Amino acid sequence: MERNPDKFWNPYLAGVALGLVLLTAFLVMGKGLGASNASLRLGVTAIGAVAPNHVASTPPLAKTHSDGHPLDNWLVFEVLGVLLGGFVGAYTSGRLKKEILKGPHIGNGARIALALTGGVLMGAAARMSRGCTSGQALTGGALQSVGAWAFMLSVFAGGYAMAWFVRREWR
Amino acid sequence: MIFPFESLVAEHRELGLVVETLIGFGFGFTLERAGFGRAQKLAAQFYGTDLTVFKVMFSSIVTAMVGLVVVSGLGLADFKAVADSATSSTFLWPMIVGGLALGVGFIVSGYCPGTSWVAMASGKLDGLATVAGVVVGQVLYAEVEWRAFLKAFHNSGNLGNLYLWELLHLPPRTGPAVVALAVAAMAVGCFLGAEKLEKVLASRADPAAQANPAGRPGRAVFAGFATAALLGAVLLALPTGIQAKSREAASVSQLELARRVLDEPWKVRVIDMRDMKECAARRIPGAECVPVDKLASIRLAEASPSRDVILVGPADVASVPPAAAGYPGRLYVLAGGFKGWEAFALTQPVPPAPGAPPAEMEEYRLRAGLNSAMTGMKAAPPPPPPTAAPAGPRKGGGGGCGG
Repeated sequence: MERNPDKFWNPYLAGVALGLVLLTAFLVMGKGLGASNASLRLGVTAIGAVAPNHVASTPPLAKTHSDGHPLDNWLVFEVLGVLLGGFVGAYTSGRLKKEILKGPHIGNGARIALALTGGVLMGAAARMSRGCTSGQALTGGALQSVGAWAFMLSVFAGGYAMAWFVRREWR
Repeated sequence: MIFPFESLVAEHRELGLVVETLIGFGFGFTLERAGFGRAQKLAAQFYGTDLTVFKVMFSSIVTAMVGLVVVSGLGLADFKAVADSATSSTFLWPMIVGGLALGVGFIVSGYCPGTSWVAMASGKLDGLATVAGVVVGQVLYAEVEWRAFLKAFHNSGNLGNLYLWELLHLPPRTGPAVVALAVAAMAVGCFLGAEKLEKVLASRADPAAQANPAGRPGRAVFAGFATAALLGAVLLALPTGIQAKSREAASVSQLELARRVLDEPWKVRVIDMRDMKECAARRIPGAECVPVDKLASIRLAEASPSRDVILVGPADVASVPPAAAGYPGRLYVLAGGFKGWEAFALTQPVPPAPGAPPAEMEEYRLRAGLNSAMTGMKAAPPPPPPTAAPAGPRKGGGGGCGG
């Protein structure tokens, strides 16, 4: 396989491939895809190591123990697969490289700080809307959920509204 | 129904987790190959120079949606059952606010939660920072979402499992297919527009921004989606197609309804579609007051078909309202509506003259009983003495034990 880091799949074919993965998840597991709940479970595991009583007394955190260990959950295994798939994809395409991705006019520190800030905001937002772009927009969108479509349109609206303010990060 | 394999979440849970890992692998690999591990490419979506995010997301949604419709159409799965198990309830307000906030976070961090995992796996330190941020954000919000000040908002706009086809008042059997075909048609239109927009904006922007033109494979995908949409439209247009026809309901007479309401009320569900006020004042015993504009809210299309639904209007119901047409069980309308009912059941019947035929006697007795039951009067005037009536065919024997 040629390793050209700037060569990507045709977006439409990539979309069809992604759709088939999603369809497989629907048919085989009766579930969709998800990415953000695994983050909560990682966080709860970390908190549980230092303050188990706090986890037990906070219902949304305690709920991750319903299957036993918070990491013993299908979403965590799915994200494990995402990491493996992403790693293999990056390695075979020549994109596996330790670097910081950003526009030409921003420093590394600022970029990392913004990435972290955006992450915190997205983490909270995904919890608020019961899922992120994977679990809500893709999964719920394909299953015609009204809330998922409202969410998806809002994501694009929020992104476009903010884009002008952070243009120095990317342009 | 074959799919989904229930055992993978029950007795073969370990195997299910292995399958999940494989599905995740496919997810991560596809995202990486689509270019979703690269922040600039994702961010370019919001500057209009590279609409890969939109193209990939929309075509995957159409693929999975149409795929599940087809598999359900073949009887191998049930669209609604999968949707109920794989989606969350709709909480409209937190979902809109959360969506806006997630969009802001998306353009600030350059990733969404899923793609940040992929970026991290391919060595991007900004991806790692986003992953860490999402963990912190998830925990922070989970800490407060159940507290009094946020609880009301967090659970506001709860519409349950609500789907687009229900919003459009389409029947549950064919609704998902109709919506899927509409979405597929819309997608093709949007893709053609996106290609145009990219061309215009990319020529203005810096040459470094490299869009992925549709090319031959892209056109093949367009053609596929367009064919699916066209095929569906043709199928729907055929007279024997799956289109939801306006439903004709048999009418039930007042006498018949009275019999059923008194004898077997557990088998009928009477829905009074008049004004709430009128209905509250006077109605058929056991009737539900559901004004016609609220009819959609009781979701007849999903109700159990075990009871016969009888619709009552102010007068004759000319056409079955669409919200009731989806009811899977038997559907009747009351002849003459409530006006007819009033005249029939709520006015005192005139006793027949002595010597009237038994059928008339019988009807009088029923109507008198009915009238007393409906109006709350103590008792109807007693029927004329039995000697006046000609004897019907005599039953042999006296009691149940006689020979």
